[in-house]
This record gives sequence, C-alpha cells and structure tokens, in this order.
Amino acid sequence: MIELTNVTKKFGNKIAVNNFSLHIKKGSLTMFIGPSGCGKTTTLRMINRLTPYDKGNIVVNGTSINDIDPVELRRNIGYVIQEIGLFPHLTVFENIAIVPRLLKWKQKKIEQRVEELLELVTLDQSFAHKYPLQLSGGEKQRVGLARALAAEPEILLMDEPFGAIDPINRLKLQDSFLEIQEEIKKTIVFVTHDINEAIKLGDKIAIINEGNLIQYDNVSKILSDPADEFVESLLGQDRSIKALSLEKTKDFIIKDGFITVSNTESSENVKKKLQDNDIRLAFVLDEGNHLKGRFLFEKPSKTKKQKFIYDSDPWIAERQNNLNETLSKMLEAGEKQLPVVNRKKEFVGLIRLSDIFEEVNKK
Amino acid sequence: MNVVFYYFNNFGRIMSALEVHIFIFLVSLAFSIVIGMTISIFVTQEGRKKIGRIILSVMGAAQSVPSLVIIALIFIFVGIGIKPAIIALVIYGLVPIIFNTTSGILSVRQNIIEAGRGMGLTQNQLLWKVKIPIALPVIMGGIRSSATIVIGSATVAAVIGGGGLGDFIFIGLRMQKPEMLISGAITVSLFAIIVDYIIAKIEKKVVSKGLQIKKT
Repeated sequence: MIELTNVTKKFGNKIAVNNFSLHIKKGSLTMFIGPSGCGKTTTLRMINRLTPYDKGNIVVNGTSINDIDPVELRRNIGYVIQEIGLFPHLTVFENIAIVPRLLKWKQKKIEQRVEELLELVTLDQSFAHKYPLQLSGGEKQRVGLARALAAEPEILLMDEPFGAIDPINRLKLQDSFLEIQEEIKKTIVFVTHDINEAIKLGDKIAIINEGNLIQYDNVSKILSDPADEFVESLLGQDRSIKALSLEKTKDFIIKDGFITVSNTESSENVKKKLQDNDIRLAFVLDEGNHLKGRFLFEKPSKTKKQKFIYDSDPWIAERQNNLNETLSKMLEAGEKQLPVVNRKKEFVGLIRLSDIFEEVNKK
Repeated sequence: MNVVFYYFNNFGRIMSALEVHIFIFLVSLAFSIVIGMTISIFVTQEGRKKIGRIILSVMGAAQSVPSLVIIALIFIFVGIGIKPAIIALVIYGLVPIIFNTTSGILSVRQNIIEAGRGMGLTQNQLLWKVKIPIALPVIMGGIRSSATIVIGSATVAAVIGGGGLGDFIFIGLRMQKPEMLISGAITVSLFAIIVDYIIAKIEKKVVSKGLQIKKT
C-alpha cells in the first residue's frame, strides 16, 4: 500500500508535482499517464526516494518513507526503467542475483530464485549465462522485470518499461506482463505515455498534466466519465471501442465444443473419435500441452461434401488479449472460433465469436 | 656484428641495467596506478563531476608535455639519483591513468547508474560493482599506455642518475660507441614490447566477457 498526501515538488521555480494526494491499493496496478514533463516520472521517483519531495508525506506499508534508510527502502521496492539498465558486465544470472546478493541470501536460494524467475518471465534457463549484449530488446525487458522481482519486493515501480520496444513486441510483452501480475499480485506503479497501454494494463489510472493530478479512477470510470477536456482529448475519439478492450479474452474461454487429442494419434483415430462424439473440432496437443494443430470437419454445404481437414498452424488467440484484439484476429482469420493459449503457449480453451457479440449487445 | 660481440661481452652489465630498469618501472607504475585511480575516483563521485571534467581537460593538455621537461623540473627541485627519477616517472605516468580512469567512469551510461541506485546499491557498491568494472577496458588502456610511457621515459631519466638501460644509450652516444647505444636500445624496446603484451593479456582476463563480445 502506498499513500501520497499533499506531496509537492519544485525544481527551482517550476512546480513539478503540485499537491498530489492518492492512495494506491495493495496488489493493484496503477498507471500514471500524461504528456512528457507532466510530473509522472518525478512522482514515481519520489516513492523510492530517488527524488526528494519538498512538502507532504509518502507512506509505504504504514511507514513514512523519510523514516526508512533510502538504500533499505530501494532494496524492498523493485524498479524497472525504460532502457532497463541491465549491467553489461554481468550475466543474466548475475544481473538478477544483484539484490539477493546484497541481502546476503545463500547461493542455493539465489540459484533457485533465478531459475524460478526465468520461468516466470518465460525465458529458457540457458539465458542465465548470456550477457545483456546478446539479448533482444524484449528479452532484456524480461530480464529487467525478473531482476526487479528478485528479492520478492511487495512494490514494483516501472518507468515506461516497454517504451523502447517495437509495437508488435510491446503487445506481446504487455500480455505476458499481465499474466505475470495475475500470478504475483504486486502493488505496481507504472508510468506510461501511451493511453492504450494504460487502458490495457491498469486497474486504476492517474491522469497527470502540468504537475496536477487531473483524474484518478478506475479505468472504466475514466472511459465513461472523463473529468475534463484534457482527459477526453487524451482518450481520443474511439472511446466506445476502447471500452471493449476492457474485457479480457480469458473471461470468455469455454472448455466444450471440441476435444483434444495427442499428437501421436493417427488422423483416422481422431476422425472416429469426433464422429462418435458428434463434435467437429479437435485440437492436437503435445505432451507439454502446446497446441500443434487442429482437425476440423468443415460444414457441409449444398455444393460441397463434408471435408475432414488438418491444419498444422491454426490461428490462435492469446489468453491475455482483450476482446478487441481477439475480435480483430477472428475477423482477419475469417474464423468463428479460435483456440486460446497462455504466455507459455499452452492450450487453455476456445473462444467463440458468438460469445463476443453477446457481450457487445449487452453494452 | 660489433653489436653482437658487444652484447655477449657485456651481457652481465646489460642484465643488471635491465634489472634496475624493471625495478624503476614497476615501482613507478605501481605508484601511478594507486595515486591515479585514487584521484580519478575522488573526482568522479556524484556532485564532483565538474571537477572531473576540468581534470580531464588538464590531463588532456598535460599529455603533450615532453617527459624531458618533467624530468628536468624534478632535477631542479629534488636533485639527482634514482629517487628523483622515480618521482618524475610517477608524475608523468599518472597522466594517462587519470585521463582514462576519469573518462571511463564518467562515460558509464546514466541509466545504468540510475538502475543501480534504484535497486539500493550504496555509492561504494555502485563504484566497485558497476562503474569500475564497466570502465575497466578504458582504465586498462590507460595503464597500458602509462606502462609504455614509463619504460620509455625511464630511459631518459638516466640523465639525472636514474640508472638503467638509459645509461647505455647516453654513454654510447657520448663516447660514439654505436654498438653500446644499439644494445641498450634493443633491450629496452624488447622489454617495452613484452610488457605491453603481458598487460594486454591481463586486460583480456580481468575485463568481463560481457564487455568484450560483439553484438550479435
């Protein structure tokens, strides 16, 4: 839990942060958004005392941060910045192990923790011995997140962590980040200048402009009830479509209407199984539950006989995608249903177009 | 042919001069490294970066002062012998070490330092675990050129009684005995090349692999 009370910061004569009061709930993901120079990063940096504040008070877990030694405070708060700042002279393992080593953890425990974290951010264990120069932008970002989480901090501060990543990989990183957060449930403060990122990731959004906190509310409340013209212009024209993006694919996953088969089964077998169960769709999974393909009875029409087809590379929806993203994928693929996978590419179920339409009609 | 004869006839003398030369070199370089790095670390601490930049420009200019000038000045103020020679060499050897260490530490990227601070590294930990290891290739470069300079200048320091292989060169010059001069020159050159090779090997060993790989 983080509590800011009347916090003010001046740089010279310029007021960078003007009388902020906000309460950040334990386990929630709060987005700070606003144009550059609005004070969002300054506010973030005041929470771990990288920037001192002039007036007011910041309380973390019941203690005013001024009563905590800054070094101590920072070791208990994860910190991720835009260019990540991985140490180039250390391996991935050593980068992640920095804070645990400062805290004098046993070597065994550190090894275990690094292994756990690489798994969490879906990096292969072989990455442990690579150096930052050998990683792609997305991989660096994952290592940066793992490093920030290493000593199990309750709070995570993230300053435009995906800012330097290309749009396609940014979407992927956001998806896996959301899934990771679902697992770890940290209190996260996340600075961004991308409204779509704020809507997609945030539980709550704090909209900041010229040092003033304009609106601090739930995402749906901000979309339906913007406080002023500035917020409206920030949200853009397509507010109603953005609202669809508040719904997550994972909430529409169904587990029936298909069967799953092992990739060792013959297609004759699969065909027979489908006919026996009167089902038209089968997903092929390997022993690790990864989607390897699908069998499908196409709907018979007047001109065509029913065809039994196999597709080794079917379109998929990601569990963390919002409905908006999944819908556009379905339209692009021309499919009425898509298999859903999680960030480890494991099959988790099916999503149907009809269910999405039902949701749209409800609104 | 004269050189070969001279070399074999005076092998013992040449070797003991080399020993003196090595001694002067090691002592001077050690002092230069310790003093130079201490100064550089001091002027690159947070809040002293301005001094750091000034030191950089001063050292940049100092690199173009001939070693003979320093040696002559030391002779005037301290006198003659091996000690004044070492003092002069330490001062002259400091220049590349301070220059490289200071610029190496100052050029560590700010976001890396910020990340370190944000994770709760103290100033000391930032220095020894982050800044110096990252600046090490540049620092080692400074030590390498300092070593070369000290070996060369130690030859010149023979004029104020420093001893070493410089004696062969200067006496050979004065007595017009080219074989003596050349014997001294060859030995000191070989020594410089070997030392440079050894430091290059050490550099490869102590600098993190992460800083030596090419981007893939």
